[in-house]
Amino acid sequence: MRLALCSLALTCAGAAAAGPAAPPANFAADFVQTRTLPGFSTPLVSHGDMGYDANHGFHWEINSPYHYVFEMNGKQAHEELPDGSKRDLDPDQTPWLAAVEHIFISALSGNRAELQRYFSLASRPASGGGNELTLTPKPGAIANAISRIEVTESAPGRPQHLEIFETSGGHMDIRFIPAEGHGKP
Amino acid sequence: MSRRLSSPARWSLWLVSLALLCATAGARLQLRGIVDTDILSMLPPQEDSVAVAAATTQSRQAFVNEVLLLVDGDDETAARQAAIAAADAVVAAGLKPDDSGRSIDRLLAVYQKHRYALLDDAAAARLAQGGAAALATDVATSLASPAGMVDAFGSDPGGHLSRFLSDLPRPYPGFLPDGPFFSAQKDGKYWFLIRSQVSAAAFAEGAGQAAHAVVAARAAVAKACPRCDLEATGAPLFADAARHAAQTESIWLSLASTLLIMVLIAYIFRSFAPHVLAGAQLLASVLAATAAVIVVFGSIQVITLVFGTTLIGIAIDYAFLYFAEYWFGDRAPSEVMRAVRPGLYMGLATGVVAFAFLLLAGFPALTQFAVFSVAGLIEAALMVVLIFPVSLRKFPQVPVHPAVLWPQRFIQTACRGSRWRLILPAAALLLCIPGWLMLRTSDDVRGLQNLPPQMLATDGHIRETLGQVPPPGFFLSEARGLQQALRQEEALFGRIAAGAPGFATLGLSRFLPSDARQQRSLAAWQGVFADPRALRAAFIHLGLPKELADHSLAEWQAADHSLLTAGEVSAAAPDLDTFRVAGAAGATLLSTVTGRSDVESSALAAYAAATPGMSFVDPLGRIAATFQRLRVRATWLVILGYLLISALLVWRYGRREALRMLYPPLLALGVTLGMLGWLGEPVNIFVVVALILILGLGRDYAVFLREGGAARRSPALAVSLSALTMLFSFGLLAVSSIPALHVFGIATLVGILASYLSAPLSLPPSGRA
Repeated sequence: MRLALCSLALTCAGAAAAGPAAPPANFAADFVQTRTLPGFSTPLVSHGDMGYDANHGFHWEINSPYHYVFEMNGKQAHEELPDGSKRDLDPDQTPWLAAVEHIFISALSGNRAELQRYFSLASRPASGGGNELTLTPKPGAIANAISRIEVTESAPGRPQHLEIFETSGGHMDIRFIPAEGHGKP
Repeated sequence: MSRRLSSPARWSLWLVSLALLCATAGARLQLRGIVDTDILSMLPPQEDSVAVAAATTQSRQAFVNEVLLLVDGDDETAARQAAIAAADAVVAAGLKPDDSGRSIDRLLAVYQKHRYALLDDAAAARLAQGGAAALATDVATSLASPAGMVDAFGSDPGGHLSRFLSDLPRPYPGFLPDGPFFSAQKDGKYWFLIRSQVSAAAFAEGAGQAAHAVVAARAAVAKACPRCDLEATGAPLFADAARHAAQTESIWLSLASTLLIMVLIAYIFRSFAPHVLAGAQLLASVLAATAAVIVVFGSIQVITLVFGTTLIGIAIDYAFLYFAEYWFGDRAPSEVMRAVRPGLYMGLATGVVAFAFLLLAGFPALTQFAVFSVAGLIEAALMVVLIFPVSLRKFPQVPVHPAVLWPQRFIQTACRGSRWRLILPAAALLLCIPGWLMLRTSDDVRGLQNLPPQMLATDGHIRETLGQVPPPGFFLSEARGLQQALRQEEALFGRIAAGAPGFATLGLSRFLPSDARQQRSLAAWQGVFADPRALRAAFIHLGLPKELADHSLAEWQAADHSLLTAGEVSAAAPDLDTFRVAGAAGATLLSTVTGRSDVESSALAAYAAATPGMSFVDPLGRIAATFQRLRVRATWLVILGYLLISALLVWRYGRREALRMLYPPLLALGVTLGMLGWLGEPVNIFVVVALILILGLGRDYAVFLREGGAARRSPALAVSLSALTMLFSFGLLAVSSIPALHVFGIATLVGILASYLSAPLSLPPSGRA
């Protein structure tokens, strides 16, 4: 589910703020993910990199504290687990992944109307420049898991900071550092 | 019947015999009603086990009672409101709402309680083998994966329960339970599915109830959200449409045929008496036939009434035989009975013998037809013998007019010695040969129905949107106990998942793992948490905080380690009880698979055959097989009956004449089958019934002409009137939009024409009679 939400925030925030701008043809960034679980005072911090391009699809890789890879391209998805094993995922047989895939593809299409089918959007100028966007899920399956998503972007389509607030009390904070040669405004 | 009987005695004898029969029927009448509409009960016993019979009924009820309503709109809130309004309207109209959406919410709580017992075999094996390290990997994966489930329970950091829930069967791919609905967002719209069931018989009151509910729901949607749409489908809606179509057709067809027959009788006889006597004869025949069936069976099937009435239409021949002789014959009124008696008795004897043979079929449907037709024919003949002579005593005052002479001229012309008596039939048969080669049989009940194209398109669109193609049948898992049945079903589903991953399996074991599988799951978890230090080390090894390991251990220790029971599942989701077959000995589970396209029943049967304790049932295939047996057996009995009639004719007329009399009906039969082949019409049980009618008429025509002779006016007139009224009655059915009636009408239209045109061939050429 996070795949959809991250992708959606990454690629559609700009569209939401700046109107029907075309989504980036490719995007790559390093990130730091801080995950706070309900009942745990110590947050889980991981480092990794992610990227998207039209030909190779979506790539998400955790490098620390363990190694994990997730890749999805069209109908194909597979994982490399922390113990080194690999497995394929079939969206047709995994309803949650199928839903993720649908939102992911919709989001990457830059279709603001499609985005607004799932979320209510609110945008305001960020204090340090750029925009702050709040996505509140509309009633439905997403709303059962997610309270809201907040995205801060330096420029339309260039997210810097993503926060996901879960209904369980969990919280995820992802800070992006665009990779060299990619996504520079 | 003796002429010495007085008029009152004749009336008394007739009325008393009919009244006695009706009184006996009244005493035998079953309380549930005189007319039984469950046509499937007319099929012969399937020689099924109790389990298969119960499962078939259960499966049929679940399908035939269901009504699906799909509301869609561009705006989620408005579409939801429209769906709520539609659901309320449906319930107000008497349909029972489906509760499966809420059942799933209740199930979630049960699964949360027993979450450690729910690993599938692969996950259990993985944890059993990998121990603490495997759990740590799962937790790390769940936390790292961008597609990982958000931890809704706070106690499933490895995502194991989430995976079990994700793997639960979805009756409609892409649609998720959403309160009282199943909902989805697709094709740029919000979709809400309302499932409901009729609360009355789907093919009777339930059909009207469903149609009324859909109209009410449509109005409610239009009011709540003018831009939203509602589509509906379900067997009761098709039944309602079929009933309306049948009613409309039967009314205008009956009116048209009755009018034509009355005009014909009025034109020929120029008297009111034939209308009264023929009508009374028909009514008495149907009454006596119905009473006889009730005496024997306790009630009468609606299909027997329809078909039986058709078959005893032959009885009108007896009336026409008498009328023709009385009005236009050369005998005095008091001598008419003597003149027609040989033909009447011979026609009755051969008709009774032909229908009586159907008693041997062993099929409830044919047995009822036989009893009905035999009783109806006897009553018709009895009325002619007892009542007609005392009702028609005066010399008729109707002059002979050209229409009366025309049939005699036709018969006489056709009886002239000519090579055309050989050439024409031979040419007809030659033309029929390609038709015979093109003949095909069809016993598929779906081919007998007239399903409106618009409703079929709506049904197809709804099924496509839901991603659900109805399965061709169901599996049965039969065992001494529930656990064994669940294990068998799990084995089958495992086989299907490996061989056909595109199929979605649906059965109780998907919601209630067998005890054996649950124990393997608990044992795997037991191994994971057996050594707390190892668990902590495994988490630390991956950079996860040791508190997470401690938390997982504490969750395990505090959790309920009992097995999930059938009682708990049933209490949470009573709908799942439909997977358990009631009334069967031991435990029997019903399950199925769905696919995104048609699923081949042969493939499913192969999977079942490879799994001990499992069987596959194809209800439509079984009904088709039964209809085939019915058709084949009826055909053989007709052939045997005809052979017996041949013996009667040989006894009465000698071998040579009997052969000549048997030839025209057989010729008509051949022409009818040839035409059906040319027209691409299938041969089914309805056609066989039509062929029985054609043979009966052809035989009557031959007997009447043979007894009356070609030189006389009245037999030719009787035969011509019979043919015309039969054409008006049954030939009109050829224009019916209901395939079953249409093919019956085509067969009778061609068959009666051929019987009439070939009837003169039953007489020797002129000069040789």
